[in-house]
Amino acid sequence: MSQREYHIVVLGSVGGVGKSCLTAQFVQNVWIESYDPTIEDSYRKLMEVDGRQVVLEILDTAGTEQFTAMRELYMKSGQGFLLVFSITSMSSLHELAELRDQIIRIKDDPRVPLVLVGNKSDLEEDRAVSRARAFAVSQGWGSPYYETSARRRANVDEVFKDLCRQIIRRDVELSRATDSDPREGRRRRDTQDRNRRRRSNRSREHRCVIL
Amino acid sequence: MAAAKLQAPSRASTSSASSFTPVSRQNTMSSHDGSRSMRASKRYSVTALYLSMSAKEKDLEIEDDLARAQKALRELKARISSQSKKNFVLEKDVRYLDSRIALLIQNRMALEEQNEVASHLDEAAELQEGFFPNDEKTQKYGNLLFLLQSEPRHIAHLCRLVTLAEIDSLLQTVMFTIYGNQYESREEHLLLTMFQSVLTYQFDNTPDYSSLLRANTPVSRMMTTYTRRGPGQSYLKQVLAERINSLIELKDLDLEINPLKVYEKMVSEIEESQGSLPPNMPKGVTAEQAAENEKVQAIIAPRLTMLMEIANSFLSTIIAGLDETPYGIRWICKQIRSLSKRKYPDASDHTVCTLIGGFFFLRFINPAIVTPRSYMLIDGTPADNPKRTLTYIAKMLQNLANKPSYAKEPYMVKLQPFIQQNKERINRFMLDLCEVQDFYESLEMDNYVALSKKDLELSITLNEVYATHELLERHAAELAKDESSHLSVLLHELGSAPAQLPRKENRVINLPLFSKWETPLDDLTAALDITQEEVYFMEAKSTFVVIMRSLPANTPLTRRPLRLDRIAEAAATTRNDSVMVKKGIRSIELLSQLQELGVIDKSDGFALLRDEIEQELVHLGSMKDKVVEESRKLDEVYRTIRDHNSYLINQLETYKSYLHNVRGQSEGKTRKQQKHQVLGPYKFTHQQLEKEGVIQKSNVPENRRANIYFNFTSPLPGTFVISLHYKGRSGRNRGLLELDLKLDDLLEMQKDNQEELDLEYVLFNVSKVLVLLNKRFTRKKGW
Ligand SMILES: Nc1nc2c(ncn2[C@@H]2O[C@H](COP(=O)(O)OP(=O)(O)OP(=O)(O)O)[C@@H](O)[C@H]2O)c(=O)[nH]1
Ligand SMILES: Nc1nc2c(ncn2[C@@H]2O[C@H](COP(=O)(O)OP(=O)(O)OP(=O)(O)O)[C@@H](O)[C@H]2O)c(=O)[nH]1
Ligand SMILES: [Mg+2]
Ligand SMILES: [Mg+2]
Repeated sequence: MSQREYHIVVLGSVGGVGKSCLTAQFVQNVWIESYDPTIEDSYRKLMEVDGRQVVLEILDTAGTEQFTAMRELYMKSGQGFLLVFSITSMSSLHELAELRDQIIRIKDDPRVPLVLVGNKSDLEEDRAVSRARAFAVSQGWGSPYYETSARRRANVDEVFKDLCRQIIRRDVELSRATDSDPREGRRRRDTQDRNRRRRSNRSREHRCVIL
Repeated sequence: MAAAKLQAPSRASTSSASSFTPVSRQNTMSSHDGSRSMRASKRYSVTALYLSMSAKEKDLEIEDDLARAQKALRELKARISSQSKKNFVLEKDVRYLDSRIALLIQNRMALEEQNEVASHLDEAAELQEGFFPNDEKTQKYGNLLFLLQSEPRHIAHLCRLVTLAEIDSLLQTVMFTIYGNQYESREEHLLLTMFQSVLTYQFDNTPDYSSLLRANTPVSRMMTTYTRRGPGQSYLKQVLAERINSLIELKDLDLEINPLKVYEKMVSEIEESQGSLPPNMPKGVTAEQAAENEKVQAIIAPRLTMLMEIANSFLSTIIAGLDETPYGIRWICKQIRSLSKRKYPDASDHTVCTLIGGFFFLRFINPAIVTPRSYMLIDGTPADNPKRTLTYIAKMLQNLANKPSYAKEPYMVKLQPFIQQNKERINRFMLDLCEVQDFYESLEMDNYVALSKKDLELSITLNEVYATHELLERHAAELAKDESSHLSVLLHELGSAPAQLPRKENRVINLPLFSKWETPLDDLTAALDITQEEVYFMEAKSTFVVIMRSLPANTPLTRRPLRLDRIAEAAATTRNDSVMVKKGIRSIELLSQLQELGVIDKSDGFALLRDEIEQELVHLGSMKDKVVEESRKLDEVYRTIRDHNSYLINQLETYKSYLHNVRGQSEGKTRKQQKHQVLGPYKFTHQQLEKEGVIQKSNVPENRRANIYFNFTSPLPGTFVISLHYKGRSGRNRGLLELDLKLDDLLEMQKDNQEELDLEYVLFNVSKVLVLLNKRFTRKKGW
C-alpha cells in the first residue's frame, strides 16, 4: 500500500494549445474536437512507472491570460510541470520562458521536474516552430522535449511517464541531499530557522494574567 | 487638470442623448429604416457643436444647478481616469516587486539584482511636471499625437505589428493616455474605432472560428486592458461585489462536489476521530469508486442544489445588470456578433453567442469571480471554501456560455440541469448585450468639435512619447508606406526617436494637440450633409437654451408657452452683461432669418422652435437628477480606486524599507558601525488599533479594553517589538506580552496569505500592522 501520490500541473501561457485535449487523452482516452476554454479542472489517474504504482493528481489550468493570478498557487502545489505550446504558434513557445522562470522561483529549485511539450504535431503543414528550435529551448532548460498529438494520441502517455520519472528521481535526490550535502539543504534550513525564530519569538512573562 | 480640460464641453452640456445610451432592440431596428433618425442625430450633433462653441467663450458661464452638477461629475470622471492610470502603473510595479521580494526574503538575491530592484523602486516615485526641450519638439509631437488620436487606424495597425512583449506598454499609453479620458465620448469612440479595426483584421485572418478570440493575441490583450478602465471596473463593483462578498462571509460553507475530494475529506475526518478506518473505506480509491460511495453521494446531493442556486443568483444579477454594462463592452460584443455573421453567414445564434461569451464571460466576468481580489471587489484573500465555490460558479457560467458537448470532469455532469434551465436565458442576454447604437455619426461630429477647439491637451510623459515614436519608427516601413501620407510627413520631420530617459529625468508634460493640416469649419455643412436652415435652427435653439438657463428661475419670461421674441429682447437689453446682450442680439437675428426662410412663423409664436426649446429644457431638468445619481455611483468607484491606490503605495513603501534594511545590513558590514538609535515606543490604545483594523479580533472582555494599550518600538531598523500593557498592572516598562517582529517575517506571512498575527489576547491583521509600522517608523525622505 505504499502508493505514492504526485501532483502534476499542466501549464501553458496561451489558450487553445491543447492542454485539455492532451490531458483528456491521457486520463480518459477520448479526443475532444470542440474548444472549451478551461478555468481549472482536476483529475486523478493511476499509472505504473518502472514497476511502481503511482497516483497522479493532474491539474489542467487556464491558458486564458486573465486567470494568471491563480498560477502562483498551482505552482506552489505542483511537483512536476508540463509546459505545453502548439507547434503551429511561435509565440505560444516564447511565452513559456517566463512561466518556467516563475516556477523555478516559486519552487526554489532550478531542477524542478518539467517537460516541454510541443502539441498538435499532426498539423505538420501548419508548423511554425521547428523541432530543432524547440529542442534547443528545452536543452537550455535542461529538460526533455516531446512532440505530441492529442488528436492522434501520439506520445501522450510518454510525456506523463517522463515527468513521473523525473518527480520520483528528484524526490529521492532531495531527501538524500538534506541528509548529506550541506549546500543543497541549506536553503530549506534557513527557512526552518526563520520559522522557528518566529515561533519562539514570544516571551510571555506573565502568562496567567487574566484580563 | 489637463484631463478636465480635455473633457469636451459638447459632452458636458449634452451627455443626455448621446450614443452612450443603450437602446432597446426596437429602437435600433427603426434606425435602419429611416433617414429621420439619422437626421435627428445630426441635428443633435450640431446642437452639440454650437453648445460647445459657445461654452468655449468662457465669459458666459451658465451657473444653474445642472451646470454645477455636471461640472462636479466631469471633475470626478477626470479624477477616476487619472487615478486608474496611476493604479495600472503601480500594479505593474507591485507585481514585479512581489516576485522579487520573495527572493530577497530567502536571502537569495545577488547584490547587482538588489541594486536593480532598488532602482526600480526609485522609479515608482511620483513624476514631476516638465516640458519638452524646445518649442519645436512640442509642436511636432503635438501634431503627431493629434494625428494618432484622431485617426485610430495608425495605432490599430501598430497593434498588429508589435510583438506581445511590446504591446503592453503601447496599450498602456493608448488606453490610459492617448484615449485616457475614459468618460469622454470622443476619446472613447476613437478607441473603439481602433478596436474595430484590430478585430476586423483578426476575423479576416483567423482560419477557423474555434481559435477566434481564444488565443492570447494583441486583441485579447487589448480587451483585458480595456476592461481595466474605469467603466469596466465600476461595473464589476456595482454588479458583482455584493454577491461575492456575501459568499466570502460563509467561510465554513463547503460545496465541494468532486467525489474524490469529498471522499478523502470524509475518510481523514473519520481517521482522526476514530483512530482507524473501517475496512470498507480504504484510502486511495479511484474517482469511480468514490462517486459510487453512498455517503459521498449523500453529502454531494444538497451541495449540487446549493451550487445551482448560487450560480443562478449570479446569473440573474448579471442579466439584471444589462443596463449597467458599459457601452464600450457592449459595443465590442456587437462587433463580435456582426463580424462573425459576416465571416460565417450561416453561423447559428449559438455559435455567435459562444464567441460573445468568449469575451464577456471568459475574459471579463469570470476572472473577476475567480480572483475577486485582483479586481478590488473584496479586501482580503477568500478562505478555501468560498474560493472553491467561486471557482465552481465561474466554471458553471463558462459552461453555460460555451455549452461544450463533452464534460471533461465527469462529476460536472451533475450540474447539467443548470445549463438546461438557463441556455435560452443566457443566449438572449448575450444578444441583448449587442443591442447598442453605433457612434459613428456622433464621432464624426465630435471630431469636428475637437477641431474647432483650440485647447486640446494631452497629459503624457516624455518617455511615453519617445516610446511611441520609437515603435512608429521601427515599423515605419509598414505604417507609412506612402511617403506623402500625413504620418510619413510627420515622422520624417521628427527624425529618429530619442532614447528613453532615465527615470529621474522623465517628466509629465501637457502637450497641446493640434492638426498640422487645417480642416476649415466652413466645410461643416457640406461634410455633414445638412442645410443652412438647419444650421440656423440649431444655433437658435442652443442660443435660447443658454439664455434660459442663465435667467433667474421665476421671472415672467420663464412662463410657458415661451415667448421667444420677448426673451430675445430681454437678453439683448440686459444691463452689465455684454455676453448676454450679444446672445440676445444674435437670437433676434436668427429669429428673423429663420422666419425669412419660412422655417418658423411669428403668428404661431414660433411654435416649431419654441416646442423644441421647451422640450430641451424639460429634458435638462430631469437630467440633473441623473447627473447627481451618476455622481453618487462614481463617487463610490473613485473611493475604491483610491483605497486600492493607498494599498498599492503602502505595499511599495514596505518593500522599500525592507530593501533599504537589507542593503543597509550588507553595507553595514563594511561601513563602520553606526550607533543605532531606538525608535519609539509609540503608544496605541486598544480602541485606536481596533478602529484602524489592526486588531482583527479581540478576546479581551469589553469592559477591560479601555485599560489595554500597546507599545510599538523599533530597536533596530527592520526589527520591531510590540508589547501589550495593562494600565496600572505592570509598573515597569515591560508589557504583559512581548512580540519581536522582523519585517521579513511579516512580508513572508503576507506573501503566504497568512493574515493573522496572534498576540494571544488579540489577533492583529498583518497588512494593517505593516501599514502602521510604515507610517510610524518611516525614516527621513530621500532613500
Ligand atoms: N489538430 C490538432 N488539434 C488539437 C490538438 N490538441 C488540441 N487541438 C484542438 O485545439 C483546440 C483547443 O484545445 P484545448 O485542449 O481545449 O486547449 P487548451 O490548451 O486546454 O486551452 P485553454 O483551456 O483555453 O487554455 C481544440 O479545438 C482541439 O480540437 C492536436 O493535437 N491536434
Ligand atoms: N530603531 C530604528 N532605527 C532606525 C530605523 N530605521 C532607521 N533607523 C536608524 O536611523 C538612522 C539612519 O538610517 P539610515 O538607514 O542610514 O538612513 P538613510 O536614509 O539611508 O541615510 P543616508 O544613507 O545617510 O541617506 C540609523 O541610525 C538607523 O539605525 C528603524 O526602523 N528603527
Ligand atoms: Mg484547457
Ligand atoms: Mg542609506
